[in-house]
Amino acid sequence: MRSIDMHAHIAPLAASHLPEGQTWHGFTRREMNGRQFLVQGDKRQWLHPAYSLTADERIAYMDSVNVDVHVLTTWVGMYNYDLPGDVGAGIARECNDYVAELTRSHPDRFAGMATLPMQDVNAAVAELERSVNELGLKGAQIADHVNNKTLDHEDFIPFWSAAEQLGALIFFHQEGDDTIVKPRDTKGWAIDNSIGNLSDRVVTFGTLVFGGVLDRFPDLKVCLAHGGGFTCFGAGRLDRGWQVRSEARELGASIPSSYLNKVYYDCLTHSEAVLRYMIDSAGIDRIFLGSDYPYDMGIDEPTAWVNSLESLTQDEKDAILWKNLERVLGV
Amino acid sequence: MRSIDIHAHISPEGYIRAVEAGEEWYGISGRSHEFHQAVPRTMWTPEQRLTDMDSLGVDVHVLSTNAVFYCYDRDANAVAAMDRECNDYVSQLTKDHPDRFAGLANLPMQDVGAAATELERAMTQLGMKGAMIDDSVNGKTYDEPEFYPLWEVAEQTGAVILVHQGMQTVVGDRSTRYHLPNTIGNLVERAITYSSFVFGGVMDKYPGLRVCLSHGGGYTCFGAGRMDRGWQVRSEARVNINKPPSTYLNRFWYDCLTHSEPALRMLIDSVGIDKVVFGTDWPFDMQIDWPVAWVLGLESLTQEEKEAILYKNLENLLGI
Repeated sequence: MRSIDMHAHIAPLAASHLPEGQTWHGFTRREMNGRQFLVQGDKRQWLHPAYSLTADERIAYMDSVNVDVHVLTTWVGMYNYDLPGDVGAGIARECNDYVAELTRSHPDRFAGMATLPMQDVNAAVAELERSVNELGLKGAQIADHVNNKTLDHEDFIPFWSAAEQLGALIFFHQEGDDTIVKPRDTKGWAIDNSIGNLSDRVVTFGTLVFGGVLDRFPDLKVCLAHGGGFTCFGAGRLDRGWQVRSEARELGASIPSSYLNKVYYDCLTHSEAVLRYMIDSAGIDRIFLGSDYPYDMGIDEPTAWVNSLESLTQDEKDAILWKNLERVLGV
Repeated sequence: MRSIDIHAHISPEGYIRAVEAGEEWYGISGRSHEFHQAVPRTMWTPEQRLTDMDSLGVDVHVLSTNAVFYCYDRDANAVAAMDRECNDYVSQLTKDHPDRFAGLANLPMQDVGAAATELERAMTQLGMKGAMIDDSVNGKTYDEPEFYPLWEVAEQTGAVILVHQGMQTVVGDRSTRYHLPNTIGNLVERAITYSSFVFGGVMDKYPGLRVCLSHGGGYTCFGAGRMDRGWQVRSEARVNINKPPSTYLNRFWYDCLTHSEPALRMLIDSVGIDKVVFGTDWPFDMQIDWPVAWVLGLESLTQEEKEAILYKNLENLLGI
């Protein structure tokens, strides 16, 4: 049995090993409270220690948790949609070249997803085309919003058109803890992450559905990280809103729950009951293994966890662990 | 079989007369008037409401003043006076129709002392069952110590605190389109409120506090697994509580307003059947249209579970 992990982050070693005093796309590296950060203006991006691992060290970790393939997504600190488009494009090219090199040197252990300068849609389209056609990447990871514009905005139509034509998988993942659930002061109990990530993902589902993106691009492949957040559980109320409010139907969307089986999800739920609910709502063919390596909010032992779930059949476990991603990404 | 609806709103008669006359009422006019005129049932008399309840097979409305009357951002004294009129009105209805109406108070939450005083009056003098409040008060959530005096009164008087969003939700910061601030936002707000009470240590400090989360508690039960993970790995989540947040799920009550049988089934399986109560959101478009029939028609619930939701749990909770 294989295992392919859709939700595994990485950063270019050029960034994580940036020597003191040198700059990388305008960033410098700084240590604060024992942690390494990339700093630019008032931006502070925490470099997880795992981003200093070599490919062989990462593979040793993957072996230790029985994961065969990481579908590498660059760490969200590389989004930088707030920086000028040319800076973002430069960062994206370097990230994507780095990831592509890993997939070429270890084709049986790594597949790759692109980072894109979404603040410049034309540049994002060009980089997505280069990433898929020239670099052999499988798609791209993007945030739930681009400078507070959701992805149903008409500016992004060329992006969706290109993604559909290229057969690229678009993986939605928030930028850090930048979610609609804001912590106040130093409290917050990590709910900007635990509730916020899940809230942002259902807003993304809602905007893609009601905004007509999934209708206009029927062959589009979208994956919602963190189990799609609250999408499956909240579908009933979305349906009710669609039934009674004309603004939910103004762009011609069908009833929202009918789109649950038109997108993909990872299994990062931290709850067997939630994963079972997703399978029953969206269909077993829509769910991928996703661990959120290397973060603390990830699944510690992803393959062992899936294999331990008593409410899933062996066929369902196989579908999640590898069959679905093998089919969708061709890896 | 009885049915008792904890999620049923009302607008005070004095306000309805002001809308009809095109006049202000405690400073309220404009959008609120338009909103009421656009939803005719908000303007109905108690007799019209009772006729509608009969047609729906609903025996009791636990009346809560509409959320447009929260007005937490306005002058506390003026709002306290308005709330007294709201509560006197609802209380009178419960006395006129004791077998058909029970009442929840509206409170001036921007002045916690005044809110505690009004809750005490509502419980000890007006015969009400608790209060309905927003998910936050001018940006403050309910973990704030300034709200402790209110929880003390609620605990002492046995008041049920029904939490229900006001006019805006956090989803509006991301998108205001497609009705998402309601269809997603209400459910996000409720999960944040659960977190505020639990992670903030309020449920430990007030073990007798009775909180009911409307809209099925929103995304709370579905998000409990990830909240638990956050509690395990992030020290800031453990500042006030020494057990996982999911262990508090059965400390709250939840209405059944999910618009989804599997969501209601998961809610029951997560929080316990004794904590799920009947709630419809009368008279608004996001309500359950035929609520008693909907509950009775759910194939994944046993007859005992349906009875618990439709009336037994609220009989126990409210003593009616």
